[in-house]
Amino acid sequence: MTLLELENISVHYGRIQAIRGMSFTVEEGEIVSLIGANGAGKTTTMKTISGLLNPSRGTIKFNGQDITKMKAHIRVVQGISQAPEGRGIFPAMTVAENLDMGTFGRKDRSGVAADLERVYSLFPRLKEREKQYGGTMSGGEQQMLAIGRALMSGPKLLLLDEPSMGLAPQFIRQIFKIVTEINQQGTTVLLVEQNANQALARADRAFVLETGEITHTGTGKELLANPAIKEAYLGVT
Amino acid sequence: MSMTDGPTALPGAGADQAAADRESKGTPPGSSAAAPRRGWFAGWSERWQAMPRQQQWALLLVVVVLAYLLPVIDPPLISTEPGNDFPLACQTMAIYALVAVGLNVVIGYAGLLDLGYIAFFAVGSYTAAMLTSPDSTFLKIPYLWTIPVAMAVTMFFGVMLGVPTLRLRGDYLAIVTLGFGEIVRILATIIPAMKGQVGFQNVGHPPGVQSNGVPVFANSNGVPWYWLTLTILIIVLLLAGNLERSRVGRSWIAIREDEDAAETMGVPTFKYKVWAFAIGASIGGLSGALYSGQVGFVNNQKFDVVTSILFVAAVVLGGAGNKVGAILGGAIVAYIPLRFTAIADYKYLIFGLTLCLIMIFRSHGLLAARQRLLAYGRHAYAAVRSSHDAKAKTALGGEAPS
Repeated sequence: MTLLELENISVHYGRIQAIRGMSFTVEEGEIVSLIGANGAGKTTTMKTISGLLNPSRGTIKFNGQDITKMKAHIRVVQGISQAPEGRGIFPAMTVAENLDMGTFGRKDRSGVAADLERVYSLFPRLKEREKQYGGTMSGGEQQMLAIGRALMSGPKLLLLDEPSMGLAPQFIRQIFKIVTEINQQGTTVLLVEQNANQALARADRAFVLETGEITHTGTGKELLANPAIKEAYLGVT
Repeated sequence: MSMTDGPTALPGAGADQAAADRESKGTPPGSSAAAPRRGWFAGWSERWQAMPRQQQWALLLVVVVLAYLLPVIDPPLISTEPGNDFPLACQTMAIYALVAVGLNVVIGYAGLLDLGYIAFFAVGSYTAAMLTSPDSTFLKIPYLWTIPVAMAVTMFFGVMLGVPTLRLRGDYLAIVTLGFGEIVRILATIIPAMKGQVGFQNVGHPPGVQSNGVPVFANSNGVPWYWLTLTILIIVLLLAGNLERSRVGRSWIAIREDEDAAETMGVPTFKYKVWAFAIGASIGGLSGALYSGQVGFVNNQKFDVVTSILFVAAVVLGGAGNKVGAILGGAIVAYIPLRFTAIADYKYLIFGLTLCLIMIFRSHGLLAARQRLLAYGRHAYAAVRSSHDAKAKTALGGEAPS
């Protein structure tokens, strides 16, 4: 079943067009990766899906419902949760308080408890540090916190914007392993990455984004094997 | 040694751990607001938290009683110099403290830099003056009724200003609010009904006459005014404290820290920002009404931008986000020029320098903010806690977890 559907989406920053008529779908249960260079429009795409930016044209459907005009904070309740680029955690709140903010739109306390348990079992490190201020944690831990916090809203679709940014290679592998696990537990994942190697290896399907347009689509493996992509994004000739 | 069961994604391998530790070391200690709060008063706050409830109440009671007795005792060293009546100085301090508590909601909690807060203070003052002064052509109501009216009117102005401008962020918002502060002052100058520099005399005051025929709330009678303002300040403080611990308070903190992240967590950021503006504005109006009642005279000369900046300075000095800090900041800003008349002319220089020093040595203000936010999440938190502990116990064969 199609969970997310973007149809002919265009996004402008003032007069500059960042996304040019983009269309793609995300099926339920998939991991979909969006890869591309700096300025290709990856983060813009994510912000448009989460509702922080409004498209100038096109429609977004989630779960069969048109959400193009829906405000970001309502989309969260509908089941779209974003772990923003650069982590976007609340530095002056503790880990536990950050996680608690993720439940803001929820009414079901039992669900909250279950999700907290889930997050702590995915990231035992967060449990160890639950009293620590978000801003005093390492980059990798902050990334875990951002993902954990996004999961606390109990999303159907998890948007991850460059989870590997600025992390040590050890951490990148860990984060991607956890992303796969989150997906296996039943959350659909849309992943934006510059680290094309990992992003493609983990993805069911992937898109390559260049200057606001999708130029290649395929399964993760297909794109990994594509010589043009190898050269442009994987640093292999 | 993970104590969790179920899927464990961080296998605790030595290499992963080492990488994590390297990362921790490589990261500089948290920026600005993030660092754990240390400083001159840190020990106090911990000791305060550790006290049993009754002891806290008892101590608070002593502080409150002392605060009420302050103008009556008129302590020699603290007292203001001749020429400045001490009870009236106390009243000024209480007014500034109230202003700072209100502005703290906007700047400290929601992180919206409002440089035109004087506008709300002015609107409150004018509301009280125009509804009680014989110079005004409006209908007259008893002074005490002007207080809720002033709050309602300023709240309306807060929403009026907030709805179009709160789509702006950071510096842009600061500039617009700065402009708004000036607009109100200029309107008071050019609108005939507001009487510009002539202003309104004999603004009303609460009822009550002493045995010698002088009203209890005479302009020069600081003590009753101070007690009234202090009582209102305490009420506002209790309400602000409740707000701070509520869902609204948590949203404000989240907005202050990262607005986009707050929005994607499901916080209706725009709505809560307008709320912060409206509540802050109404407290500003309240203090304005109290001010004009005590001074008894309102004209357009009293609401300049510099005073507005002084309000911001009070909040920043005390510690943005901490209501007790705001009271302290407001009181200090009002007190210094009245206590040391010799340096009163240099007060802006001194406050400027003080602020620079505060920014360098104590960037969170005298009393740094720390909110306890887990009002709602605590339940979930406790539930998971106990289940974890139970599992850990069974996993260890009944032994107590280390």
